[in-house]
Amino acid sequence: MIWHPDWAGVLTGQPLQWIISGFLTTLYVSMAGSVLATLLVVLLIALRLSQSRLARGAVAAFVSVFRNTPLLVQLLFWYFAAYGALPQSWRFYIGDTHAWAVFPGNIAWLTPEFVCAAWGLGLFTAAFLVEEVQAGLNSVPKGQTEAAISQGFSRKTLLLSILLPQALTNAWQPITGQYLNLMKLSSLATGIGFSELTYQVSQIESYNAHAFEGFAVGTLLYLALGMILGGLMTVFGPKRPQQRPQAEVNDGI
Amino acid sequence: MQQDSLSTAATSAVFSHSNAAKTTAVEFRQVSKSFGHHPVIRNVSLSVASGDVVAVCGPSGSGKSTLIRLINQLETVTDGEILIHNKPTRGLNGPALRELRTHIGFVFQQFNLYAHLTAQDNVSLALIKVHGWKKSDARGKALALLTRVGLQDKAQHYPEQLSGGQQQRVAIARALVTDPDIILFDEPTSALDPEMIGEVLLVMQELAKSGITMIVVTHEMSFAREIADRVIFMDGGEILEQAEPEDFFLRPQHPRAQRFLQKVLFPLHPETGAGQ
Repeated sequence: MIWHPDWAGVLTGQPLQWIISGFLTTLYVSMAGSVLATLLVVLLIALRLSQSRLARGAVAAFVSVFRNTPLLVQLLFWYFAAYGALPQSWRFYIGDTHAWAVFPGNIAWLTPEFVCAAWGLGLFTAAFLVEEVQAGLNSVPKGQTEAAISQGFSRKTLLLSILLPQALTNAWQPITGQYLNLMKLSSLATGIGFSELTYQVSQIESYNAHAFEGFAVGTLLYLALGMILGGLMTVFGPKRPQQRPQAEVNDGI
Repeated sequence: MQQDSLSTAATSAVFSHSNAAKTTAVEFRQVSKSFGHHPVIRNVSLSVASGDVVAVCGPSGSGKSTLIRLINQLETVTDGEILIHNKPTRGLNGPALRELRTHIGFVFQQFNLYAHLTAQDNVSLALIKVHGWKKSDARGKALALLTRVGLQDKAQHYPEQLSGGQQQRVAIARALVTDPDIILFDEPTSALDPEMIGEVLLVMQELAKSGITMIVVTHEMSFAREIADRVIFMDGGEILEQAEPEDFFLRPQHPRAQRFLQKVLFPLHPETGAGQ
């Protein structure tokens, strides 16, 4: 049997609209989830480094719960269980259409699916990020801390000026990996009926049976998005001294 | 911009005596330190006058490094009291302890330069972050100190782009940036290649003439002999001998000091009598 792919079947008309909408939705929910994960990880690291045993215990419990359970189950929990427990007035409000809550490309973000997906992805990713940052902190030699302490640095200034810059540099690749995971794992939100990229290309399959073309385009879009996000994080991320452009390094060392 | 609540480096009631003639800078009163059940410093009493340059030597594991790390409380004493300019320091914590530390420079064996910062930023950082200086002023002072240690042309280099000797000179500039009146050195030349020891010792010699109080843990006998006012010999957590350098090197009293000197000065003849 000879089979010819029919790209026009997915790159025109209604299927194209779905793909564009799905791609933008994946992009936006990844960004929202990343912002949430970043805010959470700042909070979690602050709690973990505090003197309070209770706070450190809470972080340990958080990490344990969110790292050791499947993300799909977490998303189903947030969407079907936790969301339903919100006050009815909130749910009505979120369920309404709001002209101001629309991202470019006509993607509404104040919807139960978007909110639950971003929330679930943010919490899940934060649990991994906190351990990556911790590993980065552990990789900073003890002498750096001793030098700063002997100069009279407070714990907070030591952390912000000495330890975190080095920790983030050391752990930047694994940290980037976690943000890329967040983007890719957003495909699981198809399980709560969230119309992101995977949901939309699946829809093409039942619409005109162009499964190969649909998933091929979807895969390429994920690949492109991952490479662009990863590249941006590398370009704008912290650098080691030898990676920084410098005018006068080679004068006789 | 993150800043600590400390006041400027120069003003402090605790240190108002520091310019008086030959007051006591550092005093140990029956100080002991144990790690768990393992005693490292045993009942040490010691007095160092302002402006004195003291070399502390002894075999490895004798407690030399711990002795000076107790002064700026990188380690805390188990028993006894350490007075800095006649003020007890044992109960200090929080801002008062940080204030004390800004008046005591510390130079490490492994340099411990901030790896993510240039030489100039290494020196200026504490002024900006701990003392609230303006960035431009702090960088100006840092450059002046780097010039003093002969490294103005390396100001924009990162630690890993510098040789060991250069890194240690940056570390000395960093320790001096808050104008401490006491500076502690923990084996400052032990991690250096032999040809780089001289450049660091020359900076330390210049510093010794400036009137700052220096306590130097060292294996570098030329420093102890030529620059120090006094040599302290430690073994087993105790001070076994204190003497002027000439007396210590020519007429060591304690048998363990004699044995130590024999090994250090004549490593190929560890068993014959003291060097004649």
